[in-house]
Amino acid sequence: MSAPPGYTQTHLVDPFEVHVGPIFEQGEKGARRFALRIAAQHVNMRGVIHGGMLMTFADAALGQAAWDACDHAPCVTLNMQSQFLAPAHEGDWLEVAPILTRRTRSLIFLRGDFTVDGATVYSVASVWKILGAD
Amino acid sequence: MSDVLDTLPPGAENISVGGFNLHAGPVWRLPADGEVRRFALAIAPKHMNGSGAVHGGLLMAFADISMSQTSRAVSGAKSCSTVALTCDFVGPAKLGEILEAHVRATKKTRTLVFLSAEIVCAGRPVMVATGLWKIGG
Repeated sequence: MSAPPGYTQTHLVDPFEVHVGPIFEQGEKGARRFALRIAAQHVNMRGVIHGGMLMTFADAALGQAAWDACDHAPCVTLNMQSQFLAPAHEGDWLEVAPILTRRTRSLIFLRGDFTVDGATVYSVASVWKILGAD
Repeated sequence: MSDVLDTLPPGAENISVGGFNLHAGPVWRLPADGEVRRFALAIAPKHMNGSGAVHGGLLMAFADISMSQTSRAVSGAKSCSTVALTCDFVGPAKLGEILEAHVRATKKTRTLVFLSAEIVCAGRPVMVATGLWKIGG
């Protein structure tokens, strides 16, 4: 699938993200916005995006933002809190602009509201560990 | 699939029939251990991150699939929706290992189910999760 106008395809490295992608992005490092076109392999039997896919997209998009926040040092997810607010469907364009809440020497706090046509369908707060920064 | 079955604990039954469940899975249901409902996933190359560990998104998906299945079993409803889920990543798991999810129902009300789960790999803790499901949502 090609990127829509104004977006480029995000360069994904992790095999699982490549498997469930592609995802798209726009904007500069530290202020990137990410998007996913919901397809048949992302939904459940009711045509609604699977919670596991939402969390995987969140891990990928916020992981990119965490990477921006620590100048590409390796970092891992420690905790992710998800709230599933409303269904999103096959064909929908799902977007998130991750927000850096705080960065300490070894931790990164990120949150994100995921929207379809401006309405929030899914919300996340997460904590990341910068490896080697104890 | 049959060689994967040989690596799984006895009594494993595939519950991934289509959509994301099959794309990300398959997830296997194991016989329950008393009040604890058990599920398994065999870590394949597609499940990995770039550092040689299982991907965090896959772990959260495995937790959600196992806990959603439990919410339906506990409530008797044909469908339940995940309302909230909190996941702590406590340890890594590697290619070829078998993940097991152990899910407990903490409380069921008329409209909601509260669940907790531990994902383990060869006896090591990998993830702990707690969440809330809406019955029939």
